Amino acid sequence: MKNYRLKPPQIIISAFLILLIGLSYILHMDLVVLMNESMVKLVMNGVLVLSLIPMLNVGAGMNFGLPVGIIGGLVGMCLAVNFRMTGFYGFFMAILFTLMICTLLGWIYGLILNRVKGREEIAGIFIGFSFIPLMNYFWTLAPFQNREMLYPIGGQGLRPKISLENYFNHILDNYGLISIGNIEIPVGLIVIFAIICLFLYLYFRTKIGRATIAVGENEAFAKLSGINISQTRLIAIIISTIIAGFGICIYAQSYGFIQLYDEPLSMAFPAVSAILIGGSTGKKTFIFEAILGTYLLQSMYLLSVPIANEILVPELTEILRTFITYGIILYALLVRERRGIYS
Amino acid sequence: MENILEIVNLNKSYNGIPALSNINLSVKAGEIHGIVGANGSGKTTLMNILFGNPIIRETGGYQGQISFRGNKVNFKNCAEAIRQGIGMVHQEFALIPDMTVGENIKLGRENTHSLTDRLFGRKYSFIDRKQDYENAGQTLRRLGISVDVGIKIINLSVNIRQFIEIAREIDRTDLKLLILDEPTAVLNKNDGLKLIEILKDMSDHKIGIIFISHRLEEVQYVCDKVSVLRDGKLVSQYAKGNIYVNNLAQDMIGHTINKAAAEKREMENKPVITFKDFSVKMPGEEVKNLNLSVYKGEILGLTSLSGHGKLALGYGMMDMYPVDGEVYFEDKKLVKMNARTNIIKGMYVLPDDRQGLGILADQSLESNIIFTGNQIKNMFIRDSAFNFLGFIDHRKTNLHVYKMMLDLDIKCTSIKQKVKELSGGNQQKVCIARALTVDPKLLFVAEPTRGIDISAKEKILNMLIEINRSRNTTIIIASSELDELKRVCDRIAVMVEGKIFKILSPDSSDVDFGLVLSGEEGVDCEKL
Ligand SMILES: Nc1ncnc2c1ncn2[C@@H]1O[C@H](COP(=O)(O)OP(=O)(O)OP(=O)(O)O)[C@@H](O)[C@H]1O
Ligand SMILES: [Mg+2]
Repeated sequence: MKNYRLKPPQIIISAFLILLIGLSYILHMDLVVLMNESMVKLVMNGVLVLSLIPMLNVGAGMNFGLPVGIIGGLVGMCLAVNFRMTGFYGFFMAILFTLMICTLLGWIYGLILNRVKGREEIAGIFIGFSFIPLMNYFWTLAPFQNREMLYPIGGQGLRPKISLENYFNHILDNYGLISIGNIEIPVGLIVIFAIICLFLYLYFRTKIGRATIAVGENEAFAKLSGINISQTRLIAIIISTIIAGFGICIYAQSYGFIQLYDEPLSMAFPAVSAILIGGSTGKKTFIFEAILGTYLLQSMYLLSVPIANEILVPELTEILRTFITYGIILYALLVRERRGIYS
Repeated sequence: MENILEIVNLNKSYNGIPALSNINLSVKAGEIHGIVGANGSGKTTLMNILFGNPIIRETGGYQGQISFRGNKVNFKNCAEAIRQGIGMVHQEFALIPDMTVGENIKLGRENTHSLTDRLFGRKYSFIDRKQDYENAGQTLRRLGISVDVGIKIINLSVNIRQFIEIAREIDRTDLKLLILDEPTAVLNKNDGLKLIEILKDMSDHKIGIIFISHRLEEVQYVCDKVSVLRDGKLVSQYAKGNIYVNNLAQDMIGHTINKAAAEKREMENKPVITFKDFSVKMPGEEVKNLNLSVYKGEILGLTSLSGHGKLALGYGMMDMYPVDGEVYFEDKKLVKMNARTNIIKGMYVLPDDRQGLGILADQSLESNIIFTGNQIKNMFIRDSAFNFLGFIDHRKTNLHVYKMMLDLDIKCTSIKQKVKELSGGNQQKVCIARALTVDPKLLFVAEPTRGIDISAKEKILNMLIEINRSRNTTIIIASSELDELKRVCDRIAVMVEGKIFKILSPDSSDVDFGLVLSGEEGVDCEKL
């Protein structure tokens, strides 16, 4: 990390963030409350961002197919809710179901991506888009029983927004919450986040993890050294998918609802934006970069809402949010390192 | 003659470690200026500065003055240097792998259709591909090589790539100064001579040429002036007439060099590996129906003109290209080529394409050296309950890597330094260290001394002899350096058009080798 250099997206976002903090100060907003919330937002979105790392490091690019893992997580949670599993037990079971479903989905997803080597990103986008309508059928037709999940009228098909109020709403947010004056530290949430970071850190230090990085950096080298390229890629893609599944579970317990149908689609781009802001170049990415990017992006979202309301242009938030999310991705595509000295 | 290039008091350091100090140097129009120095002495760094390579700015820039054709310059990127008429042939190729030979040669100087020129301006005009390819073909023919200009670079062997990179530069009409960083390293003697004739021709046309090479004979033969670098300092300069290989070597290294030579011996003819009608479809370097037995414990040299297949044998064993035919290793037939199983069985391939296949540029020396041993043979794994996860035992690793660094004399700041920060020759040593770590029974080595300075070269050859003698490792060296093969090998097989043409004793005369290499029948070979 000693040669870490700030990149333009980070500078822009940081400058913007400072501007927002200045504004909120002038507008007499409660910065401490915002600080507390930013911590929650970091973990809520951060796991989804972390999930991109294994695929980036194996050389499969940005996982625009993030909806695949998210859907796995949604199914996992729906199962837990369906069986009326509540509290910690409920959350734990949701995670367990997610693990199983995402392993399967990730495996299939990986097999597909292995066949479109070099074009994973674009393939991921289309896999995401085509998986959604398929799942829409599933959500309406699957034989879930719990009435709290189904449409109130008719009793057929899942609601677009399933409340977790009676299940595992805020289960991690509230666990081990320490308050010092106004400052609240959600210890449970942070511990979970740290565990996932640690898992990733250790993964890249195992033998298979080192092979993963080698494949991402120089596939021909890895091949000559006897590494099984397809298998290494497959494992990385499965791990990415599983973490994405966990990510949506953690997101949902903070948010309080399971959001189905088209919702997973809207989650890939902010995650990609965040990791780009953190400094990823679409190749080897550090955990630190994912955390930094998420924090910057989410804090900016967070601050922009009350400020936009205060200065009476509430639409501004949404415009800004979309503009920044997509703008950063576009920027990254534009400057992405090209090879050859003449370019 | 006027100076076209003048360098005054040039200093450059990487992270506080000096790479060049107080360099003063000038080059005249039409002069061929040689630069020699051991691995890591700063040659490439100096050239990167002259060519405006961004790596220099990224690592903190340089101090000192450079004037080009009378004007002070400080290039911010290569494009600026190119615009001023400087060209560079890189030690590590700078070709675009996914583009064709023709496109690479004409990149930035494409012929365009005159109609669209008028409609959209030259910059956005349609490229006249036919004309481009024709020009490119002509330039390549001037270099005396025939290759389909429609092939993508990625499919070519390194020696052909080298010619293409050279062709890209000599195709330019606006060239004032040409920098060649070890252009002959990947070429055999004949091809090297071909290039040298072209350089002489260019110098007659008043183009200044900077020529870096580890082949001192070449330097003595072609250069008008030679500068010797040692540890980033300019230690001596000689003008034509006073250039002698011995002096250069002495100035570069600071001590005399003992040439490696293996003692001759009687071998038992027990094959360790036998190829029957073996073919490897490596584009530009195909092996076709090769039959060969390699004996246990021998060092076999494999040589051929470029493009005749000497490099492909090892790659075929590692499943890098499609293969055909039968191979018996230790009397067992290999059913399917698979790099992993073949490494476990005891084979290892040291590639000639260092950048593409030999190193993980962004990783440390340490990771590079232990990679294959660790991944395939489970070496350096920390003993614990989590053995199956394969965490590294750092103490064991450090010890081993440190020893390798000393044994091979790898010049680096620490074993944690990234390999891309090492000089070309030192990167090669890292590759060799990895092979030694795996400790194979059968070692395929392709061009082991390419880009290696004269002193380290002998160390590497000695090291190959040493592992052969002490560990009884069978070694197959594919190389175009006949002189080196003759000193270390027990037998030398000459390939012509993808087949073994003749097997010669290392004592055979150069004339015989010359004839056999070009496929002449009728040379008496001892029955080996
Ligand atoms: N990007 C870099 N970062 C740090 N150190 C570097 C970098 N590039 C080169 N060096 C160091 O600068 C020194 C000079 O390297 P350079 O590549 O110029 O050597 P060279 O004379 O071209 O050697 P060779 O004959 O092996 O090609 C070496 O010690 C090398 O480790
Ligand atoms: Mg060099």
